[in-house]
Amino acid sequence: MKRFRFNQQEIVFAVFAVLFLAFSIFLRGFLTPENMLTLLQNVAVLGILGLAMALVVIGRGIDISLIAALAVPPGLVLQMVQNGHSLPASLLTAVLLTIAFGLVNGWLIAYAEVPSLFATLATGLLLAGLGQAALFQLDVVQWSDGMQGFERLGQGTILGVPTSIVMFAIACVVVAFLLRQTRWGAYIYAIGDNPYAARVTGIPSRPIIVLQYVVAAQIGCFAGLVMAASVNSMPTRVFNSTLIYDVILVVVLGGIGLSGGRGGVLNVIIGTLLIGTMLNGMTIMDISYAGQNLVKGVVLLLAVITDSFLNPRNEETAQQGDI
Amino acid sequence: MKYAVRTAKVIAAALGLAAIAAPALAQQGLDEPFQKPFKEALAGKTVAYVPVAMNFDLTEGWYAGMKKELEPLGVKFEIRDPNWNTNAGAQAVTSLISEKPAVMVIHNPDVQTYAKLLQRAENEGIYVIQINMGSAYRSSAFVGANWIEIGEKDTEAVVKACQGKSNKIAIVQGALSAAASAYTLKGVENVLAKHPEIKVVSSQAADWDAAKAKAITQTVLKQNPDLCGIVGFWDGMDIGTAAAVKEAGLTGKVFVATSGGGERKGACELVKSGAFDLNLSYDVPTQAAQMAGTIKWLLSSGAKAGSIKGSEYTTLIPITKENADSQTSCWNLSDLKK
Amino acid sequence: MRDTLTSLRYRYWPDHLLGEILSKRWTETAIPVILLLIVGFALSRSIDHFLSPASLADTARQAGEIGFIGLGMALVVIVGGIDLSVGSIFALTDFCALYLLDVLNWPVPAVVVATLACGALLGAVNGVLIGYLRLRAFITTLITLIIYRSAFDLLIQRYSNSIAAAFPDIPSWNFIGGGDVFGIPSVALVYIAIAIFGHIFMTRLRPGWHITAIGGSRRSAYNSGIPVRRTIALCYVASGVLTSIAALFFAARLGTVGGDIGVGLEVIVLTATVLGGITLGGGKGSVAKSLVGVLIVLLITNGLTTLNARGGINRMALAGILLLAAMVDIRWQKNRTRIISKVYVAPTYHALPPPPATEIGQGGPFEQNDKLRDVELIGLGRIEAPEDVILDRNNNLYAGSRHGDIMRFFAPDYQRMEVFAHIGGQPLGMAFDRQDNLYVCIGGMGLYRITPDGTVEKATDETNRSMHSVNDDSRLRLADDLDITDDGLIFFSEATVRYEMDEWPIDGLEARGNGRIICYDTKTGATHTALRGLKFPNGICVASDGQSILFAETFGCSIKRLWFAGPKKGQVEVVMDNLPGYPDNINLASDGNYWLALVGMRSPSLDLAWKMPGFRRRMAKRVPVDEWLFPNINTGCVVKFNEQGKILESFWDLRGENHPMITSMREHRGYLYLGGIMNNRIGRYKLDNADPNYVQYDKRWGKAS
Repeated sequence: MKRFRFNQQEIVFAVFAVLFLAFSIFLRGFLTPENMLTLLQNVAVLGILGLAMALVVIGRGIDISLIAALAVPPGLVLQMVQNGHSLPASLLTAVLLTIAFGLVNGWLIAYAEVPSLFATLATGLLLAGLGQAALFQLDVVQWSDGMQGFERLGQGTILGVPTSIVMFAIACVVVAFLLRQTRWGAYIYAIGDNPYAARVTGIPSRPIIVLQYVVAAQIGCFAGLVMAASVNSMPTRVFNSTLIYDVILVVVLGGIGLSGGRGGVLNVIIGTLLIGTMLNGMTIMDISYAGQNLVKGVVLLLAVITDSFLNPRNEETAQQGDI
Repeated sequence: MKYAVRTAKVIAAALGLAAIAAPALAQQGLDEPFQKPFKEALAGKTVAYVPVAMNFDLTEGWYAGMKKELEPLGVKFEIRDPNWNTNAGAQAVTSLISEKPAVMVIHNPDVQTYAKLLQRAENEGIYVIQINMGSAYRSSAFVGANWIEIGEKDTEAVVKACQGKSNKIAIVQGALSAAASAYTLKGVENVLAKHPEIKVVSSQAADWDAAKAKAITQTVLKQNPDLCGIVGFWDGMDIGTAAAVKEAGLTGKVFVATSGGGERKGACELVKSGAFDLNLSYDVPTQAAQMAGTIKWLLSSGAKAGSIKGSEYTTLIPITKENADSQTSCWNLSDLKK
Repeated sequence: MRDTLTSLRYRYWPDHLLGEILSKRWTETAIPVILLLIVGFALSRSIDHFLSPASLADTARQAGEIGFIGLGMALVVIVGGIDLSVGSIFALTDFCALYLLDVLNWPVPAVVVATLACGALLGAVNGVLIGYLRLRAFITTLITLIIYRSAFDLLIQRYSNSIAAAFPDIPSWNFIGGGDVFGIPSVALVYIAIAIFGHIFMTRLRPGWHITAIGGSRRSAYNSGIPVRRTIALCYVASGVLTSIAALFFAARLGTVGGDIGVGLEVIVLTATVLGGITLGGGKGSVAKSLVGVLIVLLITNGLTTLNARGGINRMALAGILLLAAMVDIRWQKNRTRIISKVYVAPTYHALPPPPATEIGQGGPFEQNDKLRDVELIGLGRIEAPEDVILDRNNNLYAGSRHGDIMRFFAPDYQRMEVFAHIGGQPLGMAFDRQDNLYVCIGGMGLYRITPDGTVEKATDETNRSMHSVNDDSRLRLADDLDITDDGLIFFSEATVRYEMDEWPIDGLEARGNGRIICYDTKTGATHTALRGLKFPNGICVASDGQSILFAETFGCSIKRLWFAGPKKGQVEVVMDNLPGYPDNINLASDGNYWLALVGMRSPSLDLAWKMPGFRRRMAKRVPVDEWLFPNINTGCVVKFNEQGKILESFWDLRGENHPMITSMREHRGYLYLGGIMNNRIGRYKLDNADPNYVQYDKRWGKAS
């Protein structure tokens, strides 16, 4: 298994390298420092979401409700400020909402034992519905004067690096620390690798799973704040989009298997870089949106097929329920 | 004295007489013969409203405006919210046909999906008013923006702003498959055909998504820092476009033209802040009033559904720095609901 | 008086039905079905005309379309995968149909065929990637979702105008889109037909079982030779075809290639699938579950939309109901087996008089002795669980083993042994027929025949299903012992129809007449149930008169006689009752009497408990299985009895060390051979005063030619 993981990561990295090289040679204006920063900046939010997803996937779960966590609590911040509340109070409310949301997710999955795919599908719907029905007046929540200064989270630069990249970097460091340096992180790997064994060994797996979803929702909320700050509004309609599929792609392509227990922050970064390079190069080439998706899909498919040829799955070692 | 008394008596009598005669002599009111049938034609009727989704400025504005006009007349105003799901919308329209409301106000998600159903509805005697987004079927009435005109006007403004500059422009489309986007693009092409000197460096669909619009614009601006204008297709999305322009420090140098419903926060304030240079508003309250007027006219006309067909294209309000402060240029939802 | 009441109450009240109903597979779907009924009822109360034919037809049209996709998704999920690309396949095949019809003006039948082929092709891409190249289903279909969707977007850019302009008016096309037969929409009719086929396919046909097997355990399926790759690939093809059927009806109904067609469809269908009770990960699911899930999701969304609910409220309500249903359902699935195990055991009243004395010094035929203490041992440590032993005309000794083999020990010293035949299930009672075929009762499998050259053939594994039984009693669960009449009828006992072989003591605890005697005719191959309602029927022996069989009821502690021919045909008569132990096999003795094995002795505690069904039920509910009161099978004996039911002699082993347990015995040339189901040896006891040339079958049917 270990060899296998290493190889998928390598393949994706190779595809990334080939694309990057090709674009650098053939595309004028691709390999400039400015464009490199733009490339990263464009996928920073995707990358942050990928980190949240990675955290859950490593623990053998999946969190479809991330987009709801991205859209609703930050939207609530903007809406509350618009309605005249102070920014700190609004932020606190949003964080509390996110924690509550993560707790609901975690409880459903860890204690009520609802499969994570289904549970988060439904809770995401619930949160998005709540936002639509009770929290927001309009689905694009606009920036207001009370938010003045907060847009620094997503706009401008810190030491010449666009802020959203810095935010992505911070998120990477935090998640890497959580996963690699804390006992909690080790437990997540243990649970993802073999939940039954983890439980038998005495790891309090249920509270850890709950915490995992709380942290994931929190990261999702953070990504939402960065996104809102960078476009000066919160288009909550993003919930209807297929963004979540891109997030899953980043994670799985980077080499974090959906069966859990494998991978880390590096994988997310590689997956993000691959997607970012493709999107950036094709935007420069002015390929239409549908065309971009087609090319993106085919490249991803080729990467996955190559992987299956180099590392064929064995019927004997295939894990049950590993879809 | 006696005379005086008599005179007084005469006057009193005259006054009394006058008092008695007054009603007969005063100006008599006329019964207007058409208002009663009008009221009868509307009272108790059901009007069903099927937007693509609620919760955004256009559909909420239309809803509030129509409700305000129609409910006092005893019209039952119902809403079917498919929430961006085309299939659910088609199902809602299908079940409405069997429920037989008097009027259906339909906001099409695309030009085809509802077309067959709307035809069936008019055959069943239901008036169909299509709003802002028409379908392949022409029904009793269309009320809404002229997308081609929007594309033309936006592009003309951008072309004008580009005069003497690089003549490089970018187009940020909506979703490729949405008719509003396709029609607007046609308008853009109409103008560009007349201006061969303009070079389109990028024409991408951002899928109505602000974040995607920002990503595209950022890349385009990095490649073409001398860009002189951007035609955007919807203000909700072009917040992202504008944010990219602002971050590149090109506000004022790149002319951003877009369009939208004219809601205050999304339109006027963003124009005021310099994010947009031109925002063509199709003024939702006026549209709502026109829709309500059409409903009233159709219901009181007694015409057979589908026997008459007409269109009302909205007069566009170009919002620029000059009129962005004016109270009448934009609207807001809470006022409209009052 | 109280005992009479108790006995009446337990005789006529069917306690056992609850457990049997709960253990039916269809009760797994109970929660979704209940939810569907609640939702349907609530909506019919709050919406006028909800149940009107027009409204139902509208719902059926939409449900039919989504239902097809649901079936495809169900298939793919059962085989252990997932298909996220259905929404995009739906859009592409919808485009395909309308493009062929409106732009190329193909005739309708050609359009139908081409669209299905298109769906099959798109599904086949998934199938080849996932089945043959063994990519992960989730990621693969996610990527094909993106690819197919962008292909659709590119295509409609070019062709949507020409499709939008066309309003084809072809009667057959309109019939597909909006036609009905007796008010039932065309799509619903096709759905019903395919659903019925799908049900039969999944539950009765080999490929359907393969699909469930692969989903249940891909590895085991692969190892047992199922074509895993091909089956998986074909499931995705089927999903594509089913989706294209849905798209065909959709295309005919609305004629649209709008950009949002099929967006998010995979989420709706997946929700419906999981809600219906089809577990992600595979191995579980049915057509009914898929349909129920689809109906619930559609009724809720459409119903709330019709009730003027805004999108947000609608979403919250849908999500809330889904979560609630999922939680209740998961509790139900998890606890269902636990509930079953609590209520399945339904003890009944069973009173026996005090047993005859067996203690030394008390006298009587059962008085204990030590005759069997020094029996010779055959195959010690080389055989496991010889329930029955038998000898052929050449004096070779046969015995079953726990590993599913029939072992043969060669005369004269029975040192050399071989595997005579491998069957696979545990062999219990055995008997030879006139042609020296060995008939064996196999626990859990049925009645098998082994020809002299060792070929194994199935004789029968099913009998007629009785109408009033909730459990399917057509299959044989625990065929136990048999004997063959002179006319070639095989009578064999089935100890219980309510428990599996390893649960036999629980049947004793229940003390209900769950067993039966079945007759298999070797001439016609027909099987029928001869007698039912017996308390663990066990040993069977054709009586010397050739017109009746003697059979033992283990937990009835009695020997009875059933006439199968002659004037008393069909009658049952008690030969012996109130035995001091639990009778097992019966066999002929050389002197015309019968041998009987008592596998264990009765104990006062169980005798008392048998009169107290309530006590035993409480025990079954509250105490873990391994602490239940069970029939004692530690000590036993062999007795000889005559035609009238008189005990002539008994053989005991007080120490129980040399040959601890006795379930059967055969007399052969002056020796008694002993088998015991828990033993690792076969016993051989030299009989005094016995015919040294006695061979059971030679005596009955004469010497072999």
